[in-house]
Amino acid sequence: MTMSLLAPLLGVTGAPTVTIPDIEWSAIAPELPPTAIALILLLLAIARRRPYVVALPTALVGLALGSWLVTEDQIVAGAVTIALGVIVPAAVFAFPTRQSLQQAFIAASSLIAALVLTGWQYAGVLAPDLERIVAQEALGGAVANDGIALFTRLTVYVSALLVLPIGYGYLQERRINRAEVESLLLLAVVGMAALGSANDLITLFVALEILSLALYVLTGMARRDRRSQEASLKYFILGAVASAILLYGMALTYVATGSLAIPSIGRVVGLGTTPELVAALGLGLVTVGVGFKIALAPFHLWTPDVYQGAPTSITAFMAAATKAAGFAAVLRLYLVAFPSLETLWVPILAVLAAVTMLYGAFAALVQHDVKRILAYSSITHAGYATIGVVANSNAGLSSTLWYLLTYAVGTIGAFGCVIALERRRRGEVTLLDLRGLGRSSPALAGILSLSLLSLAGIPGTAGFVGKLLVFQAGVASGLTWLVVIGVLSSVVAAFFYLRIAGTMFLEEPDLARGLPVVTTGLSAGVSVAATLVLYLGVYPQQFLQIAESAAALVR
Amino acid sequence: MGMIAVTILIPAFGALVLALLDNDGLAPRVVALVASLAAFAAAIALLVNFDTSDPSLQLTEQVAWIPAIGASISLAVDGVSLALILLTTFLTPLIIIASWDTITDRVRGYLAAFLLLEAAVLGVFSATDLLLFYVFFEFSLVPMYLIIGIWGGAARKAAAVKFFLYTLLGGLLMLVGILYLYGQTGSFAYADVLALNLTGTEQAWLLTAFLIAFAVKVPLFPVHTWLPDAHTEAPTGGSVFLAGVLLKLGTFGLLRYALPYFPEATRDFAPWLLAISVVGILYGAIVALMQADIKRLIAYSSVSHMGFVVLGTFALTSTATSASVVQMVNHGLSTGALFLLVGFLYERRHTRQIAAFGGLARRVPVMAGLWLVVSLSSLALPGLNGFVGEFPILLGTFQVNRTAGVLAAFGAVLAALYLLWAYQRMFHGPLEGADNENTSDLKAREVGVLVPLVVVIVAIGLYPKPLYDLVEPSVDRVLVEVGVEVDSDDVEPTTTEEDDA
Repeated sequence: MTMSLLAPLLGVTGAPTVTIPDIEWSAIAPELPPTAIALILLLLAIARRRPYVVALPTALVGLALGSWLVTEDQIVAGAVTIALGVIVPAAVFAFPTRQSLQQAFIAASSLIAALVLTGWQYAGVLAPDLERIVAQEALGGAVANDGIALFTRLTVYVSALLVLPIGYGYLQERRINRAEVESLLLLAVVGMAALGSANDLITLFVALEILSLALYVLTGMARRDRRSQEASLKYFILGAVASAILLYGMALTYVATGSLAIPSIGRVVGLGTTPELVAALGLGLVTVGVGFKIALAPFHLWTPDVYQGAPTSITAFMAAATKAAGFAAVLRLYLVAFPSLETLWVPILAVLAAVTMLYGAFAALVQHDVKRILAYSSITHAGYATIGVVANSNAGLSSTLWYLLTYAVGTIGAFGCVIALERRRRGEVTLLDLRGLGRSSPALAGILSLSLLSLAGIPGTAGFVGKLLVFQAGVASGLTWLVVIGVLSSVVAAFFYLRIAGTMFLEEPDLARGLPVVTTGLSAGVSVAATLVLYLGVYPQQFLQIAESAAALVR
Repeated sequence: MGMIAVTILIPAFGALVLALLDNDGLAPRVVALVASLAAFAAAIALLVNFDTSDPSLQLTEQVAWIPAIGASISLAVDGVSLALILLTTFLTPLIIIASWDTITDRVRGYLAAFLLLEAAVLGVFSATDLLLFYVFFEFSLVPMYLIIGIWGGAARKAAAVKFFLYTLLGGLLMLVGILYLYGQTGSFAYADVLALNLTGTEQAWLLTAFLIAFAVKVPLFPVHTWLPDAHTEAPTGGSVFLAGVLLKLGTFGLLRYALPYFPEATRDFAPWLLAISVVGILYGAIVALMQADIKRLIAYSSVSHMGFVVLGTFALTSTATSASVVQMVNHGLSTGALFLLVGFLYERRHTRQIAAFGGLARRVPVMAGLWLVVSLSSLALPGLNGFVGEFPILLGTFQVNRTAGVLAAFGAVLAALYLLWAYQRMFHGPLEGADNENTSDLKAREVGVLVPLVVVIVAIGLYPKPLYDLVEPSVDRVLVEVGVEVDSDDVEPTTTEEDDA
């Protein structure tokens, strides 16, 4: 039994007898460890001086649950549970005086557990032959277990796992490493992953609110920083309005179709018997609502301020992971719920994508604050990713999922390097702060440049393969005009990415500004991000194949 | 791993070794020189194994790369690409020797950038997969951007950015075209795309996209404006590589991709391109005549000379188009040598204003002699290499389009004027001023860099047959694809259906 379960993991073919767990939680298995750990971390924070009050029961529960799973032949899930049960008390006793290190360590372990379970689910349930993904519904149709869910999990968990070590020292130094940071981050992660697999409108909305609420708080985490407070409030108010609009759109969709399950909405709309105006209105309001979350122009106005004000590691996480989760919802809504209204939304979304690409690129040109430049760049990238949505095809779906992964690693690498600079300055990082960095700290400047080249889409980096695929999907769907606009905006965007890279390498350092602060966690995080940028850029085959097969959806 | 892959990987590996070294002393220079010489040796080995009687793409090698999207690492060479590979690998060691002790800042980075650039360019010349070609084509921008931007002159930042953005824009438009072709075939393989039957409208649009990319690179008038700035600001080695090799990416791309992929549109566009080339030839020459800065003068002369190459390419006759390939090599040699000389002079005087020099021949006879030979080669004096390229181009063009031929010939006349006039102002006349008095002649290392160039210049000039034998069958193959009658008998007309399409 052990062998047959591990066979697909090991790539051994010919042993397709995989037990698909009859318990339905397997569909949300990867989300369970972060959820549980988020709660445990909160309990640990409450217990404060007596962590063993929480740690020891956790260990007992983990070991018991894990052993039971093993006896039920769920070897991987059992092993993960046991491992977490061991790690929690181990971390507590290994760093008895450093609570934030305990928290970060446990949170990272739960993310690794989530990634392992994602792989287990992919190999064991989703794609037993490691070729095609077989889409499944679970929990009464509330969640879908398919390509979008898989890839969103991958992007979100990898992003969070990179951000944790990168941000650890930074949060500590700014004294915003309060106990709830990791819990909130994990909750946001769970919300994002759930958004990726949400298969009815209620689940979708709840997932969206979980991640949004966690992010509102995380944005305002720097209590003594007025910009952080401002960003949090702005994000909250605008986000609440957007949520309300989205909810109204969903309600209208329900009125029009009489269903909340996304696949059945798709079927009913496809029949053509729905009141057209109501359905169209619902679609329009949903577009506004999700457009806000993924920062499509003209619903992007919050992005620069929030990205600039939020603690930088949170910004990195928001830029990379929120975008992936938001696009997961967008893809599911448009490709599953409203494919038959394509004559309506394709032109609208295409124009929004064009405006977003151009606006983001041109607006970034006049910025001097590096975080703001990257914020506008994230707007531009939302436009590129939308090309894949507008393509309204399997290739488009795969390309958008893939694009978001490449964008995530590139943008986390870039923000990670900004953090190193911000720590020496204790203030905003402008282009002036980057002068001559290529000479004073070549490794950091090299990684930042690599990330920027990836964002600019230069061959040899992940970003190029991302752009290649979305542009290809666009051209294949006859959207050449949109792709040409994408090309023009890429050139404009290349200008400001180059300006950052050029400032580092073509100018002399200003030693009065001091050296960037690089800690072990940060350098490990950005190095892994840079490695991923190169790996996905030079040899993308493996992940690309998963992305290609991800086009299997629950319809 | 095949021979071509080895040729590409040697410089890339050299760059990797440089990254692992920890000093800027002798070691990195030796490593870079050895790597570039090894690449040259590998290119010679390619030549030895190359069958000149076979016009097709040879020495094919293929490795899976991204099967998910039908892209593979497939490499092959024909006569045209082999000639350019030889040129590239020949120039790189000379560049490294030329900058032996003139580059003192971040030496490892400089040398590594050159080796990466060499690897990328070799990849462009030998890729037979459109995606791979594009990756190399665009990647070459990064090291060149750094070379201009870090080691360049006073206005280097603006020049480097201009260079990067111009070429990026052209390249990305070509990428849209490539993706369209991919949409038709589902494959990036060179031959698969060649087998497509595209409608006239499709061809016209796609050729436009490819033309923009290559015209920027050549550069053709009116998208040449990045070139003078890039050349003026680039360090000597950068100028040599830019003129010698990078500009050829454009003309090579035209011949390898634009012409055979879009034969009908090529024939339709040809008269227009002849016109643009002639304008470029004359414009470049006249502007060169006006320059006060010798490096800018040579940069504009490049615009003019590359105009000849495009003229020959679009004359679409065996003579003219083969000669245009020969002229690519010639231009790389003679303009490369001129930039080297300008660089050597600049190191002595720290000025490039022609007016600052005068009567130098008495103080620097060796430099003056070499300068004269190279100038004469550049202005196509019979017996030197420029003549054997430029004359057949004019001849072939004259047969196709008399007006274009006659007008282009004026470009050759003007070339004599601006090059010799500059030579005269700088090296003859009264020797005035302490600076001119104290200018020292070339050192042994510098002479050693120039002598191989001059030897090849004279050799091609006196006996161009081997070079023509190398490139002509491949050029004829391309012309057959375009649907032009080729009077040579060693080419089998394989595709003729374009005519009736």
